[in-house]
Amino acid sequence: MTKQRFQKVFIVVMVLIFLPTIFPIFGLANRVEPLVLGFPFAFFWVVLWIVIAFSALLVLYYFDPEK
Amino acid sequence: MANWQVALGIMSAYLVIAMAIGILAGRGRDKASLSEFATAGRGLGLIVMWFLMGGAVFSAFSFLGAPGWAFAQGAPAFYILTYTAFAILPWYILAPKINAIGKKHNLYSLVGFFFGRYRMKSLSVLVGAIAVFAFIQYLATQMTGMAIIFNVMTEGRVPIWLGALAAYGIVVVYVATGGLRAAAWSDVFQGALMIIIAWTVGLTIVFQLHDSPAQMFEGIARDNPGFLQIGVEGSNMSPMAYVTVILVSIIGFIMWPHLFSKSYVTEPRTAKKTVLAYPLFALFLIPLLLAGFAAVGVVQAGDVDTPDNILPYLITTVMNLPGWLYGLVGAGALAAAMSSADAITHSASLEFHDGVVKTIKGDIPEATTVTIMRVLVVVIGALAYCVTIFGGQGLVALLLGAYGSIVQFAPGVYGALYWRRVTPVAIISGLIVGTVLNYFFQLSGIVVPFDIHPGIAGLAANILVVVAVSYATKPQEKAIVDSYVDASLDSSYLATESEPEPAYR
Repeated sequence: MTKQRFQKVFIVVMVLIFLPTIFPIFGLANRVEPLVLGFPFAFFWVVLWIVIAFSALLVLYYFDPEK
Repeated sequence: MANWQVALGIMSAYLVIAMAIGILAGRGRDKASLSEFATAGRGLGLIVMWFLMGGAVFSAFSFLGAPGWAFAQGAPAFYILTYTAFAILPWYILAPKINAIGKKHNLYSLVGFFFGRYRMKSLSVLVGAIAVFAFIQYLATQMTGMAIIFNVMTEGRVPIWLGALAAYGIVVVYVATGGLRAAAWSDVFQGALMIIIAWTVGLTIVFQLHDSPAQMFEGIARDNPGFLQIGVEGSNMSPMAYVTVILVSIIGFIMWPHLFSKSYVTEPRTAKKTVLAYPLFALFLIPLLLAGFAAVGVVQAGDVDTPDNILPYLITTVMNLPGWLYGLVGAGALAAAMSSADAITHSASLEFHDGVVKTIKGDIPEATTVTIMRVLVVVIGALAYCVTIFGGQGLVALLLGAYGSIVQFAPGVYGALYWRRVTPVAIISGLIVGTVLNYFFQLSGIVVPFDIHPGIAGLAANILVVVAVSYATKPQEKAIVDSYVDASLDSSYLATESEPEPAYR
């Protein structure tokens, strides 16, 4: 993968993972029930996307041509 | 021994260790070297780098402010997690490019970065002034946090002025002597301590006051409908305010000069790995939010002077905890505040030097530059101390206020790196419009239409002005533009002497 192409993929993937944490998509998760692992659903949702972002970063770094 | 004596003992021991690490880190290095003082020789490793960048989010704001937000605001506190996890991401792309430019032009500050591309002295002064002003506000936040902790944990026996002086005095001493390396190694110790303490104390509070997180949240949802949601009846923030406070924090994050300039001090590969590991910091903050939620319904809003005091209040007043735990929370909060304060004080001296001293005086020998920077560390420290003792607002309002102005650097930074057509006059016009607008909305208390964050409103105006003025003015000299936009880590780029003239004489 070239450097330019990697940067484009990186930006697109990260924006897609970020968007669910803000409105309007966050509106889908903006509620208390059901509690997940004791957390309100909105709280769990934010944490979930952070964990996804972390995992995606690990995968992307593996494919980074300039690492 | 009384609880407060144990707490005071532990916090004092912590301060001694922090000071020892800071001073030892800088020992045996070249005291007259600008590269050592400003960038630690451009070679910090991953662990050190991670904690150095992490110190920025693990501040008094997260240790005291995050529980405060959870307690007083509810769901809007989730924004702290979101921005902590995502704000670092642009650095993955930006750091290698800025690093290459820094190596070629021998830069160590944000002001130097602006001057290298835009070659405009008034812009350098303006950027330096805004940065230092925001830094002083930020430092005041940290110092207030340190002072509150000392005061509350010793049950009022250490007055505010003394607590701030003791903790911040130590920061000034080790930064002035050891430069960036001292700040970095102190941050490793302080960061590790803070993470351990946040988890132990946060979970202890939840399980002592409530049987489980689930019961706690069910109770909150039952007694305060809407509190755990955003933009519904009973919640404390509208969706637009929530989105724009996240955006302003994320865009502004890397514009903070103490974070921006870390692009210079580490190899791009280390910078990328730092980004990888960074979202973990957001997860480390979770127990601090839980501690704040645990106080809802247990503590009445009127019982604490400000929501920021909720964590110390829980420990000392509501719960029956041993004195050593007082001390640990105190040490953790001090560590949080000090690990932000050291990097900021260090950076403030560099930015003020480049923005004002270098711009006015021009050619200064290297050894003198380092001496001036050491003196500036002390002067800026003293200034921030005075603001803390004689000023005074809520922690979060201060930080967000400063953030609002820093985010106005974004068009200048992204323009310098990616847009050939952008011109110096456009950048300074945009910066002025954005900053003035932001301050107008923040000081006048007039709410921006649609509940948009003042920083984002300023940024929108800023970008419009930059684009319009750029096309109305003459493009910059091609060689200068190329040396930024085409920057890469290729040996050919770093070796070529295409630069028309050095950024500084």
